[in-house]
Amino acid sequence: MNFRTLLLDEFVFLDGGMGTMLHLAPGELPERLNLTEPARVAAVHKAYAEAGSQVVYANTFGANPLKLAGTGIDAAESIQAAVRLAKNAVGEGVCVALDIGPTGQLLPPAGQMTFEAAYDSFRVMCEAGAAAGADLVVIETMSDLLETKAALLAAKEHTDLPIIVTMTFTENGRTFTGCPISAAAITLEGLGASAIGINCSLGPKEILPMMQELAKWTSLPLIAKPNAGLPDPVTGEYFLSPEDFAEFMPMYADSGVQLFGGCCGTTPDFIRAVRKRLGSVRRSRRTIQRQAAVCSGTRTVLMDMPRIIGERINPTGKKRMKQALLDHDFDYLRSEAISQTESGADILDVNVGTPGINEAEVLPQAVQAILEVTDLPLQLDSSDPAALEAALRIYPGKPIVNSVNGKAESLATVLPLVKHYGASIVGLTLDENGIPQTAAERFCIGKRILDEAQKLGIPKEDVYLDCLTLTASTGANGPAETLSAVRRVREELELQTVLGVSNISFGLPNRPLINRNFLCMALQNGLTLPIMNPMAEGMTDTVRAFRMLSGFDPNCENFIAAYQDTGTAAAAPVQNSTLTLEGAVIRGLRQDAARLTQEALETHEALTVVNDMLIPALDTVGADYESGKVFLPQLIQAATAAQSAFGVIKASMTAQDGDADKGKIVIATVQGDVHDIGKNIVRLLLENYGYDVIDLGKDVPPQKIVDAAIENQVKLVGLSALMTTTVGAMEETIKLLNTQYPECKTVVGGAVLTADYAETINADCYAKDAKATVDFAKNIFG
Amino acid sequence: MKPEDLSRDEILMFLNTPDLDAQLSAMLDECTAALCKAAQPRTIYRVLPVVHNGNGVTLGGLPLLGEDIALHLTGCTEAVLLAATLSAPVDALIRRAEVTDMTKAVMLDAAAGAAIERVCNDLEAEIRTKYSYPYYTARFSAGYGDFPITQQGDLVKLLDAPRRIGLTVTAAQTLLPLKSVTAVMGMSFEPVRDARRFGCGKTCAECPYQETCPMKKLKD
Repeated sequence: MNFRTLLLDEFVFLDGGMGTMLHLAPGELPERLNLTEPARVAAVHKAYAEAGSQVVYANTFGANPLKLAGTGIDAAESIQAAVRLAKNAVGEGVCVALDIGPTGQLLPPAGQMTFEAAYDSFRVMCEAGAAAGADLVVIETMSDLLETKAALLAAKEHTDLPIIVTMTFTENGRTFTGCPISAAAITLEGLGASAIGINCSLGPKEILPMMQELAKWTSLPLIAKPNAGLPDPVTGEYFLSPEDFAEFMPMYADSGVQLFGGCCGTTPDFIRAVRKRLGSVRRSRRTIQRQAAVCSGTRTVLMDMPRIIGERINPTGKKRMKQALLDHDFDYLRSEAISQTESGADILDVNVGTPGINEAEVLPQAVQAILEVTDLPLQLDSSDPAALEAALRIYPGKPIVNSVNGKAESLATVLPLVKHYGASIVGLTLDENGIPQTAAERFCIGKRILDEAQKLGIPKEDVYLDCLTLTASTGANGPAETLSAVRRVREELELQTVLGVSNISFGLPNRPLINRNFLCMALQNGLTLPIMNPMAEGMTDTVRAFRMLSGFDPNCENFIAAYQDTGTAAAAPVQNSTLTLEGAVIRGLRQDAARLTQEALETHEALTVVNDMLIPALDTVGADYESGKVFLPQLIQAATAAQSAFGVIKASMTAQDGDADKGKIVIATVQGDVHDIGKNIVRLLLENYGYDVIDLGKDVPPQKIVDAAIENQVKLVGLSALMTTTVGAMEETIKLLNTQYPECKTVVGGAVLTADYAETINADCYAKDAKATVDFAKNIFG
Repeated sequence: MKPEDLSRDEILMFLNTPDLDAQLSAMLDECTAALCKAAQPRTIYRVLPVVHNGNGVTLGGLPLLGEDIALHLTGCTEAVLLAATLSAPVDALIRRAEVTDMTKAVMLDAAAGAAIERVCNDLEAEIRTKYSYPYYTARFSAGYGDFPITQQGDLVKLLDAPRRIGLTVTAAQTLLPLKSVTAVMGMSFEPVRDARRFGCGKTCAECPYQETCPMKKLKD
């Protein structure tokens, strides 16, 4: 049976629970039964087919190589057996689906399994299922949007089968990893699912409102596969009767649901009851008002009002950002992401293009680092298609791609990527002849980009046009032409419009004034997506005021929420004339420490400030900590204050730089370990004492640590492990280091370590806390 | 979850500090409030048969490794296997603070420790009222004594925890979300042998970490 033909029917009936029907003994793995007791599995399929299921799910839900590792079951073998036995059991008239469930591990940002590992495991499943003759691929019970995407891409890139996807949500309308229904809908539709829906976790009563929500976000056929009510919390048993379950189904049909089945606790009787109950019912035909929207794995941004795209993560003209990228210092990118998020950005642009950087390698790393600290959707900004694709693959959700332009080559390389990965796209209105002078010409190029995108099947609402801001200083009519083009694109094509706002003032004095006014004018002319610095004075304020004055902010709620505390929040730190820099550090006063450093630099050399003020203050705190006069929070607080002081010093030293670093140290949390906080405290303290710390992050493979140590010729490597299971990786790292780079010393720390154990794994020093690490570093570097 | 649900003493214990000055104290209040807002506590448990045999003990058919857990479950014919998590948003909150303000990160981390403890205590209280057993052991987790942490995956699987509460295990047996707990609590009609100490579920005399234990140091 062809599944696509089935979709022409009013309703399609799927099957119900498999685990429920197999009556598994404790410890029995359903995937093994495909090989050992095929008749037992076939009987379940047969029972569902007899009850009226038009699609049965092969017994492959957990047949993932990652999940079956150590069981002795070969995933591909189990899958092929499962699909074949299902086909034999149900015959020609019923579709057999390859059933793909979650791996049981989380991907970034919540987890640490790599996209590639998940993808490879799903690829094995898809190839086996397709080879055995599955009619479609079902991806179900998913919580993690990136894992779902890995499965969907594996199915799409290794089979020609239709793919349907159902995710599982909790009562708050989000999955366990925080994915909202809207984000699931727009991402999965973009990636090319044939139908999407909700299964498991809850019963038909609880899922109904979620289904109604889902129906608003997609025009795809909808799937409902609820559990038989809520389980008993202890026994896990379900109590809803088939008839009570079926009683909800007409309401699902009213919401437009076309594919019906059941999940945990449901049996063939449920399918029979649902078929009977829906006998004369018709499903409602939805009219979807398609809207532009993008999302991360945890937040959807709907383009129903002007939205701010933060521009700060871009090395162009930013020395500090450039250096951070060259150093792989993703914490700097993370902090920029956090400040923009807190300043009111709705979307963040991410551009890592700078000489010396392999964008295809760094862009996905940057994206992953940024998504660890913000849930804003991202705009992937690169002119390198390989970099775009690398980032598009691992992006959890629906991003914006920045950008394509009217050149034939750009259209031919970028648009297929946008289609394949279901992204939105910014089209720059320039082509082989450069940037046209007039609005009419830019409009024409924009129209052409839209046409080409639509030819490939990219929905109109996913195409945004950038009519290009040129600096006002070059020609009298420049700004007017840009604004006129924006207005035409918005009014005639009804597309989202993008502009890099601050280009307008390039080369002119009082840029902030020009930027604010141009932003306001552009918004009034139909700009919906200003790319701008949300921290720049007055810029976010202008957008907020515009939203409020243009009716996008009912009852001025958001405006009031943003500004009602202005009076108190802006209160400056108390000016204390007797406070010294040493005192500010010791007492952990961040802002004061920064201010007093600035003052000290007016009369003292930077090195004097460091050696005569900051270091003695840190030593005082360190000694107090060791003698028990102050404790961990005060120590860290002082270190943080010192850090802000060092920030001021670094900024002042860029010219005659080079003297401050006392030595390079590589630090890392070892492979397998994701507990990072202790290592981060160590980093903070080491940096305080002027060491150049190369922080490799968490879960770092031994060879990567050794490579970094050799490459940077460091004298000291610091390793952290919190688990007994990962101390082994620490030992391995030290062994590797001792063979490949024996002159390097090691210092180790972490909850499970002891001095004795550190000795047995040949570490040069056991540090009981961050302070002890600093002391050892002083010994090494003198 | 509300800030007043958390024990301030316990948070201070995790912070390894006897007290805080006014400024840090205000910061801790702010962190505790933020933590409570982000936390979405989820729990699951099953009551499973305990079988002692010559080699040790099984729980619901799963052999539990090491002598300590067998000893811990002496006299128990059933035990509760429980899991609790504060869920993913708490990890995200702490990650953000690690970038912006390490002091806050450490405070959030400590508050999360107290919060997951509270969630477990509440769950335990609920279980105790539900069953007729007069005696319960303390909660014993993989990683205590010689009960190997490598069994974390088996415990999570036995509870179907990924699907039921979104609690997963990495290849290195770390629970994710990070602020999560699994534990075994024996149920008995006879008085059980262990006594609760300092919330960790172990008696200090038998604990291999008594030298370095921050809880013991503080209470001594």
